[in-house]
Amino acid sequence: MSFVEFRFLWFFLAVFIVYWTMRNNAARKVWLLLCSYCFYAAWNWKFTFLVLGSTTVDYIVGQMLGRSERPAWRRFWIATSVCVNLGVLAFFKYFNFFVSSASGFLAWLGLPASVNTLNIILPVGISFYTFHSMSYTIDVYRGKQRPISNFVDLSLFVSFFPPLVAGPIVRAVYFLPQLVSAKKFSNVDVRGAVMLFLAGFIKKACIADGVAPTVDRYFAHPADFTAASAWIGVLFYAIQIYCDFSGYTDMAIAAARLLGYQLPNNFQFPYLARNVSDFWRRWHISLSSWLRDYLYIPLGGNRGSRGFAYRNVMITMLLGGLWHGAAWTFVIWGALHGTALLIHREWTRFTEGLKWAARGMRWFAWPITIYAVCVAWILFRAHDLGSAGTILKQFVLFRGGGNEHFHRWFLLLIGGLALIHWLNSRRWFAESWRQWPAPVFAAAYGCTFAVVLLFVPPHYTPFIYFQF
Amino acid sequence: MPVRESVSKVHVESPAPRKPTEHKTIIWALTNSAIGVAAFLITCVGLHAILPFPEIDGGVSQKFRFFAAHKDEFDTLFIGSSRIYFQISPAIFDRVTRESGLPTHSFNFGIGGMYLPESAYLLEQILNLKPRNLKWVFIEYDELQTKWSPENQTSRRALYWADWKRVSLLLRKLSDAGTAPLWLPNPAKLRDIMLRQKKEKNTRSLLTFYAGQLEKNYTNVARAADIPDHFLSRDTKERRASYLGAASDGYVTRPNRMSAGQAAAYERGLADAMAQAGTRRLSPYTVEAYRQCAQEVRNIGVAPIFLITPSMTQINIATESVGVPGVVMAFNNPRDYPSLYRSSVRRDGQHLTKSGAEEFTRIVAANFVELARAGEIK
Repeated sequence: MSFVEFRFLWFFLAVFIVYWTMRNNAARKVWLLLCSYCFYAAWNWKFTFLVLGSTTVDYIVGQMLGRSERPAWRRFWIATSVCVNLGVLAFFKYFNFFVSSASGFLAWLGLPASVNTLNIILPVGISFYTFHSMSYTIDVYRGKQRPISNFVDLSLFVSFFPPLVAGPIVRAVYFLPQLVSAKKFSNVDVRGAVMLFLAGFIKKACIADGVAPTVDRYFAHPADFTAASAWIGVLFYAIQIYCDFSGYTDMAIAAARLLGYQLPNNFQFPYLARNVSDFWRRWHISLSSWLRDYLYIPLGGNRGSRGFAYRNVMITMLLGGLWHGAAWTFVIWGALHGTALLIHREWTRFTEGLKWAARGMRWFAWPITIYAVCVAWILFRAHDLGSAGTILKQFVLFRGGGNEHFHRWFLLLIGGLALIHWLNSRRWFAESWRQWPAPVFAAAYGCTFAVVLLFVPPHYTPFIYFQF
Repeated sequence: MPVRESVSKVHVESPAPRKPTEHKTIIWALTNSAIGVAAFLITCVGLHAILPFPEIDGGVSQKFRFFAAHKDEFDTLFIGSSRIYFQISPAIFDRVTRESGLPTHSFNFGIGGMYLPESAYLLEQILNLKPRNLKWVFIEYDELQTKWSPENQTSRRALYWADWKRVSLLLRKLSDAGTAPLWLPNPAKLRDIMLRQKKEKNTRSLLTFYAGQLEKNYTNVARAADIPDHFLSRDTKERRASYLGAASDGYVTRPNRMSAGQAAAYERGLADAMAQAGTRRLSPYTVEAYRQCAQEVRNIGVAPIFLITPSMTQINIATESVGVPGVVMAFNNPRDYPSLYRSSVRRDGQHLTKSGAEEFTRIVAANFVELARAGEIK
C-alpha cells in the first residue's frame, strides 16, 4: 500500500475517523499501532514479526540500560542492540552482496570459490525502522532519553506508519515525548497538512512517475542515446529521485500531522545548494543528521588531525552510500560525495579571506554543485559499473555513441520545473490560501485534486526509497 | 482590596479570545470535508463528461474515430478479438451477401486481445454514436476474462473500459457472488480469497486491481494527454492503414503459415481438444454480460448475433441451450467445418491464414444469409 494509491486513501480515512473519535490517549495509541502493523502487513505480513522482534530487543535493551549502572554492562547492552539491529539489516540487505563480492575477490586472486547466494526478500523500509529503533537505545545509553516502560509507546515509535517505509528517520527523543499527552483536533493545522499532502502527491504521482518512463528507457540502454539525450536522462533522474523521495516525505509528514504528530523535515530545496556540504544539509536531512550524530561524531568527528577528520568523513559517506543499497555503485556514490566534501573543505580553507574567490564562487558555486550531484546520481541509478562508465562518458565527456534522442521540449520541462523549485524556495506559492474562507478552500482543494489526477500516469511506480 | 478598585480591574482586563470547542472544530472540519469531497466528485463527473474518447493503443482509437466519422455508412458490424480482426473480411462478406440478394456494408471492429468485458464497453460506446443504418452486430462469443497479464495491467488499455457495469460483473465473477441484484458472495470462496488458498492465490490482487481501475477510470486518471491528442491528432496515414486495412474496412490480413513442426503440434493439440468438444458452459456472468450487450443492441433496433470462431480454445464451448439472448453462429466443431481446421489454413491454434480467413468469412456470410432468409435473424 502506497500513499498515492486509492486504497491508502480509504485506509487513512478509517484510521483518521476512528482515531479522532476515541478520547482516551492509550486507546488511540493502540489503534495507531494496530493500523501501522496492518499498513506494513499489506506488503508482507510475515515481516511484521521482524519489526516486532526489533522493537522487543530494543525494549529489553532499554530496560536493562535503565537498570545497569556499571559501564561494562551498559556497553554490553548497547552492543547487543547495535549487533542485533545491524545483524538483521546485514542479513536481509547485504548478505548476497558480501558473498558475491567475496567470491569475485577470490576469483580475482585466482582462487575461484563456488559460493551460493540466498534468495532473500528485502523487507520494505528495513533501513528506516532499524535506524528509528537504534536511535532509541543509543540515546538511552547516552542518557539523552529515559527508558520507556510502556511497550506500546516504543512499538508505535518504531512502526508509526507514515515514516515507516521511507522515512524521514525519526529519533526517539523527537517522537516519544509526543506520545505523552492526548492530541487535540483543534490544534491540528488541517489546511497546512492537506496542502502539504497535495504538494507531495503532485511531486510523486505527476512529476516523478511522469518522467520515470524516460529515465528507465535511457538507463536501460544508455549506449543507444546521444550525449544531449544523456543529459536529459540524467537531469530527469535528478528530478525523479527528488520528487519521488521528497514527495513521499511530504505525504508522510502531512499524514502524521493530521493525526496530531510532528515529523522532522527531510528536505530544504537541495538543488539550490551552493556546495556539497550545503547539499547534505538540505537532502535527506534526517539521514545525514543521524549519520552525523551516531556515526561521524562517535568516530571522532572534526577532532584530531585533518587526516583523521577526513578519514571520518570518508567512512561516514561510504557507509551512507552502502546504507542506500547493496551494490558497489552505491559505495562509489558515497565515495564521490565524500571526496566532494573534502574538496570543498580544502577549497574553503584555501580561499579563506580571498575576496576574488568569494566573488567568483557567487556565480559558479551553484552550477558546479548541481553538476557534481548529477554526476554522482549516475552511479546511484546505473545498473552496473559498466553502464555507469558509458553514461559518465556521455555526460562528462559529451561522447555519445547512439542515435536515439529525446524530444527537445524535455529541456523546457526541466527549465520549468527548476523555475517552480526556485519560486517555491522564495515562498511564491506559500500561505496565500490560508486567507481563504474554509468552505472556499475546501471546494478549491477538491477541484484541484480532481484536475491533478488527469496528469497522473495510469500505472503506479513504487517509491524509489522503498528498496532502501 | 477596596470594591471600586477590584471593579475597575475587571473592566481594564480584556476578555480572553474564545477558543472553539473541540466538538465544534470537528463539526466544522466535517462540513468542509463534505464540501471538498463534493467539489472533487462534481469536477470528476464534469471532466468525465467532456473529455474525448481516450487515446488507446492497439488500433482502438483509430477504429473508433474512423467508425464515428463513417457511422451511417455501415449496416453490419463485427466486434471481438484478433479472431475477428484477422479472420473476417468485410469485403468478402459483403460480396457473398450481395450475390445472395441480401446486400450489406460491413465493418470489422476486431481488436487484438479484446475480449469481454472490454468488447462490451466498446460496443456500448459504438451504439452511443447512434449509427442510423446499423442492422446487425456480430459479437464474438467467449468467456468473460478476469485475468490481465501483469505487463498489460499498467496500460491505459486496461483502464478505459473499467466502468461500474463491467467491473461489477468482474468482481461478482471473482467472488462468485451470483448475478442477482443482491450481491451474495460465496463465504467459502471469500475465505479462500482472503487466505490466498487453493485456486484463489491471485484473486485478491485481481479484486484490488479492478477496484483500483474503477476508481482511476471515474476520477479520470491519466486523461490529460487525451486533450492535445484530440485536437492535434498524431495519426499518420500509414498508422491508420495499419489498423484499418487497405480497404478501410477494419480488416487486416495475416498471411504466414505454420512450419511443419508447428503443424504437427497443432494436429496433436486439435485431437486433444476434439475429445473435449462442447463440454464447457459459459459462466452465468458471461451470459449476463451478453444479455446486457444484446439488450443495448436491440434498444437501437439492431439484431445481435453471437459468433464462435474456429479456434482451438473455443472447441470445448457448449452451444446448446446456453441462455444467450440471440442467435449463436458456432464454428467451433471441427467435424462440421473440417476445412477451417486444416493445418494448411492456420497460422496457429487461434488464427487462420489469409486464405483460411477468406473461406471462414464466406461460410459466415452464407450462414448469415440462410438464417436471415429463415427469419431467425431479423
